[in-house]
Amino acid sequence: MENAYLGIDVGSISTKGAIIDDNNQIISSSYIWTQGDPIGAVKQLLHLLEEGFDKERYKIVATGSTGSARKLVGTIIGATMVKNEITAHAVGTTTFYPDVRTILEIGGQDSKIILVENGVAVDYAMNTLCAAGTGAFLSSQAKRLGIEVEEIGEYALRSKHPTQIAARCTVFAESDLVHKIQMGHPREDIIAGVCNAVVANYLNNVGKGKKIISPVVFQGGVSKNQGVVAAFERTLDCKVIVDENGHLMGALGAAILAKRSTKRQEFDFAVEDMEFYTREANCGRCSNNCEIICVYHRDGKMIDSWGNRCDRGAQSVG
Amino acid sequence: MAKQDKLDKKAVKRVDKQTKKESKKARKIAKRARKAEKRARKKGTGAPAITIGIPRALLYFRYKTLWTGFFKELGVETIISAPTDRAIMETGSSLVVDETCLSAKIFYGHVQSLIGQCDYIFIPRISSYGRHRSMCVRFDALYDETCNVFRGTNQKFLTCNVDELKDEKEKDAFVGLGYQLGFSHKQAKRAYKRAKRAEQKKRRQAANETEQLYRREGTKILIAGHSYLIEDAFIGRTVTDYLKKSGVTAIRADLVDQSDALKRSLEISPTCRWEVSREILGSIAMHKDKVDGIILMSAFPCGPDAMVNELLTRKLQGIPVLNLVLDGQTGTAGVETRLESFVDIIRFKEGTL
Amino acid sequence: MEVNRNVTLTRYAEYNCAFRYIVEQGIEARYIMPPALTKRTEEIGSKYSPDFVCTPFKTTLGSEIEALEAGADTILMTYGVCRLGYYGELQEQILRDLGYTFEFINLEEYNTGRIRDLLTTIRRLNPKINVAKLTRSALDAVKMVEYLDEVTAEYYKGCGFDASGEYKKAYKRFLTAMYTATSREEITAGYRRVKEDFQRIPLDKPMRPLRVGIVGEFYTAMDAFSNLETEQKLADMGVEVHRWMNITNQFLHNKGIKNLAVKIRDLCTYHMGPTSTANIWAAKEYAERGFDGLIHIKSANCTPEIDIMPVLQNIGADYKIPVLFLTFDSQTSDVGLMTRLEAFYDMIQMRKKVV
Repeated sequence: MENAYLGIDVGSISTKGAIIDDNNQIISSSYIWTQGDPIGAVKQLLHLLEEGFDKERYKIVATGSTGSARKLVGTIIGATMVKNEITAHAVGTTTFYPDVRTILEIGGQDSKIILVENGVAVDYAMNTLCAAGTGAFLSSQAKRLGIEVEEIGEYALRSKHPTQIAARCTVFAESDLVHKIQMGHPREDIIAGVCNAVVANYLNNVGKGKKIISPVVFQGGVSKNQGVVAAFERTLDCKVIVDENGHLMGALGAAILAKRSTKRQEFDFAVEDMEFYTREANCGRCSNNCEIICVYHRDGKMIDSWGNRCDRGAQSVG
Repeated sequence: MAKQDKLDKKAVKRVDKQTKKESKKARKIAKRARKAEKRARKKGTGAPAITIGIPRALLYFRYKTLWTGFFKELGVETIISAPTDRAIMETGSSLVVDETCLSAKIFYGHVQSLIGQCDYIFIPRISSYGRHRSMCVRFDALYDETCNVFRGTNQKFLTCNVDELKDEKEKDAFVGLGYQLGFSHKQAKRAYKRAKRAEQKKRRQAANETEQLYRREGTKILIAGHSYLIEDAFIGRTVTDYLKKSGVTAIRADLVDQSDALKRSLEISPTCRWEVSREILGSIAMHKDKVDGIILMSAFPCGPDAMVNELLTRKLQGIPVLNLVLDGQTGTAGVETRLESFVDIIRFKEGTL
Repeated sequence: MEVNRNVTLTRYAEYNCAFRYIVEQGIEARYIMPPALTKRTEEIGSKYSPDFVCTPFKTTLGSEIEALEAGADTILMTYGVCRLGYYGELQEQILRDLGYTFEFINLEEYNTGRIRDLLTTIRRLNPKINVAKLTRSALDAVKMVEYLDEVTAEYYKGCGFDASGEYKKAYKRFLTAMYTATSREEITAGYRRVKEDFQRIPLDKPMRPLRVGIVGEFYTAMDAFSNLETEQKLADMGVEVHRWMNITNQFLHNKGIKNLAVKIRDLCTYHMGPTSTANIWAAKEYAERGFDGLIHIKSANCTPEIDIMPVLQNIGADYKIPVLFLTFDSQTSDVGLMTRLEAFYDMIQMRKKVV
């Protein structure tokens, strides 16, 4: 029986999962929308992964979780490795593209840039307070214009004269966009303008002061958008590589990290039938009033809790 | 009638005198240039005279008479960057940290446009003119920040340091600057004196002209903002243009007699440390009863204005105040809507709408 | 002679123990300790502050409101070289508009550079002040600040390598001793004790631990609440955390800002802002000493710190040292910070292995 490793990346918009073997080859992978329910999404994801997985041949010996819900999901699936998404992306990408120098990543609620030298991340930056350069912004603008997110790329490529759209922050960009719609700009030009705005904002905010050196790999949910890819290539004046598994890179990175660590624990797909629920409690022991998240089994046993700033809010597990 | 004639004659005389003076000056400048050339040839360099670039942004608007006058007196050629447009603003924004204020972003755009166009770009460090007469800290850092931002280019920058709190006088700064450029102390001192005199004259003139505006009939609105914002072709001009179009007399608060304004500013804010803000505060104290409304205009996110304008809105009671924060990207539509409603409110109050 | 006055000065890192000491021992008035900073402090502060003022303004305003609620009737506000100098006047106006009754002593009004004017201010607090006693207690308080800075610096360098939690306990004990001290002897005793404890507790420190240098804005970089305990979080990951910036180095022992400027002449010519020279110098020093990373901490909208960011980027490029820029305001979330710090830690660790 061969060893296999599972990685799950739970973002705000989508949930990604991948199982790899010892040679980093993908055995099974899947990609679904989170829809505000990370636990449900993970269960569904595991179900989909199980379908493409040969239980006779492989067994999963280590699991990793990453993404904004990494802690919650890590607790539920009993992950041996819980890592932040920046490291996961860096590790995933450098494994598949050893000579990469710059990784651009635009996800649902945040975006990042990672600079790589000799296969090791040497510098990175993440968006600060603003969501203008992210997928959430793109999908909300698509909704406003009455088209599907998936269609953005297609529309954008059709445009000949992209509209100028302010890129500084979501609120300003939105008001500018509304204004441009009222002025009567054609839809594809506005969409191309939105794509340009995402790129401009990304480079002004996240990429500020960072030297972007080719080869450049672009990933994250937004990398599926041809319009944004084209805008990046035009602005950076170099080829931008988009891996067909680019959206899975976080999950792959988590799986590789799980493989690299020495911790081993066999993973059982039975988790998907178990029931979990979370409960939010306000600590109230001081005026910080931390929101504490507790994860429970169906039978009422608490598995884990977090969110407290100090020991006063610590919950006893069990 | 006779009086008019007399005046006319006087004017003619003055013009004559002036032209004479000017031709004399021109001759002198030519002589100086010849001398400089001779000197250069002696040294064996034979290089043509240098050109100095000045970005049309930030303190240029406040000190343009002094700066350009000084270089002109010395016979040094200056080029001023073109008025701000969208391209300049966007290049500037892409060069520096996102949180930098709009006016500074525009400044970096101007610097970029001057690179390769001149031998030196002139960026003085102007810090203070005495106690409670400081500039925003951004101007302390401006020269060094520019050097660091444009480190990759081979552009050379020229600077001088005005920090009277630390005993670095403006005069010494400019004399030193002239010396750096290869002129004698005497030449530099004379050039500074002349330029300074011209500056003071121009300031007085502007203050007097502005003072006339307060006596006009009709709706008058005081615009309180930094000169580099109001005079900027891309940002502030939209505001003044709109007000002009809607038949309002827009009066600039910053064109005011400096010493009066500095004194009067203490009435509103006793501990304000920024010279420009104090001039505006003083001007508001002097004129708030003579105007129908006040527009507090600031660039996003201007440090001093964030605090001073908050204090002003809290202290100015009984007069309509519009706090206008210009972002440069909201498009003209947003600004116009706000200005229109503000003018309407004033006219409604007056009963002229 | 003791006066019936409840003085407060806004919460500022752990330095309130020294303020209390001067007020109680030197000025002989009662000191109202503002409650420890919490989310609520930031919320009420932000509610009444202008939009794009720097975050410390909001925090200190919130702290003043909480101190007034706790019974203070006199607020002291310091002067400063950047926008800090204007805090006092605007905060007083805001508090008055809210309807609070109090006396506000704004040192900026007396900031003329003459010691006599400063004494006038203090006489407002207590007209029958004993100048000799004030001087003595001021010297004690200075010593206290020196001890505090020294111990804090040592603590963050060591606490990441102690699994037992004793190190942290010893530090907390020291802070309590400083907050309750009423004489020079007690200050010295508290200091001696913590030094002995730090000596005694065994540390599991590798030969070459990961070292991170922290530079940044004078308030946010030093106040653990405002920077969401960045230093403690880093230390807990097993990092030696260095921070040069503190009151001792910036004011008490640092007479040579001009001499700091010598070393960074290739990066900047002038003094770029209140703490800029020191920060650039410290960053360069860390980079030259082969640190694994630099973290720049500032509050949102802090002009001088924004201005030195290009310089720090150049240092990062010259010395090939990663620089993490963190901006804090009342909206900054703990989770977001943790993600960034974890990634930073992973990155410098992997880099160290390769290099």
